[in-house]
Amino acid sequence: MEKKSIFILQIASIVYIWIFVIAVDVWILSLLNVAKKLNDAINASVAIGILAIPLFITIAGILTYVFVGLQKNKV
Amino acid sequence: MQKNDLLEKDRDLFYSIEHTGPAFYWMVGLLMTILAFALFTYIIQIKFGLGITGLAQPISWGFYIVNFVFFIGISHAGTLISAILRLSKAEWRRPITRMAEVITAIVLAIGGLHPIIDQGQPERILHLVTSGRLQSPLLWDVTSITAYFAASTVYLYLPLIPDIAILRDRGTKPRWLYQFLSWGWQGTERQKKILERAINILMVMVIPIAVSVHTVISYIFAMTIQPGWHSTIFGPYFVAGAIFSGIAALLIVMIAFRKVYHLERYLKEIHFKYLSTLLLIMSLIWFYFTFSEYLTTFYGHEPDEMKVFFYKFTGDFSPYFWIMVICNFIIPVGILSNSKTRNITGIFIASVCVLIGMWLERLIIVVPSLANPRLEYPTGIYIPTLTEWALFAGGVAVFILGFLIFAKYFPLISIWEIEEGRETSISEVAHRLSSYLPDDVEQDEIKKILK
Repeated sequence: MEKKSIFILQIASIVYIWIFVIAVDVWILSLLNVAKKLNDAINASVAIGILAIPLFITIAGILTYVFVGLQKNKV
Repeated sequence: MQKNDLLEKDRDLFYSIEHTGPAFYWMVGLLMTILAFALFTYIIQIKFGLGITGLAQPISWGFYIVNFVFFIGISHAGTLISAILRLSKAEWRRPITRMAEVITAIVLAIGGLHPIIDQGQPERILHLVTSGRLQSPLLWDVTSITAYFAASTVYLYLPLIPDIAILRDRGTKPRWLYQFLSWGWQGTERQKKILERAINILMVMVIPIAVSVHTVISYIFAMTIQPGWHSTIFGPYFVAGAIFSGIAALLIVMIAFRKVYHLERYLKEIHFKYLSTLLLIMSLIWFYFTFSEYLTTFYGHEPDEMKVFFYKFTGDFSPYFWIMVICNFIIPVGILSNSKTRNITGIFIASVCVLIGMWLERLIIVVPSLANPRLEYPTGIYIPTLTEWALFAGGVAVFILGFLIFAKYFPLISIWEIEEGRETSISEVAHRLSSYLPDDVEQDEIKKILK
């Protein structure tokens, strides 16, 4: 496989990771919205959201940092 | 020493990747057959519903949930143990961490599928997306397991990058895969720093996530007021049990792959000795938790609780309960506390017993409470059918298959960490020792002794 195709595949994998993380975060936010609408234990839902949303973003951030960093620092 | 000399020295670690014997294909064929049969039974279950399983009111959770808790428990072997060993700079971790991390990634995937199987019709899982309620411990579970799976997969992958680059440079096939996964790794100082920083952040993150996963799994039970489940110590009890079964699984995998791929030079007796000490400690901790859990129940003597208690101690589930005690406590403590029996065979026997015992523990937590509900139902009976046994066997087959396929494409022992150990371990340990000791001892003197 050509270098260019591999590079495109690598970029696509970063995009895929972010799509996954954003989808999970949007899902959590929608569940928060449901809890708010139904006025049902909103505090518990907010607590879970506060923990989970940054967690997924951090994981994706670390991967992006490594991928971009390794590509940038090639000799 | 030149890099090529070092790699030549570690040629045993490339053997499983560069040479595939007929035994590999036979094994893969056998496992695929088991898996195909499991899939066949699953399709039958989808067609006819959960009625073909042993599940019936009031016992609505059986093998599938038992296996879910069991497999997720084993996942604690990997990332958690690896992260703790890395964080504490335990030098003996180097040949162990990769195997531990692979266990986590594979069993999390297997365990995570079980609630879907338990739903009967798989499309029901979509209700989580459309009508999930974040107040439910079941949703906490989904969130924490997804986070743990994501974090541990990344934690497996990042330390793998330098090894993937070695395979790329050796021209190992499929080359495009190694080129894609190595992300242009050339081992420059800057690249090393980036990778090290990322691994360090993940290492710290992964420990609380791992602890939260099994705590939250225990909440599925403990947040209800079912007799036998409503317990404040279920969180730590589950975490301790998970680490216990995880270490046992790791030891079995280490012993099996050491034998199959001739890794005796890397996985030495000392590694088994250290890990088996941890297994022994976890066995004692497990017994302490179990004793506390049942003593408080017995002392309270609440009638509904006592129904479940006697169901386990002297009733229908007593054989499983006492086998669990023998497998989780009597056998491992007997073998591992005696220096004569604490050899690789003994450790293997103890580890297999612990896995059987911990699976039984999950069984006796899930089923007896449902069989004896607070409401005036007759005591439930649960007899698993061939479908449930087949899917259980399928899960085990996927675990072994996953490991074999991983070993076919990637080194099971971290090559770069072994090399790093050779290059820097002695001076690092010497530096650490000289900082611990009360008297001023020259580092060079310690280095001499260590060499």
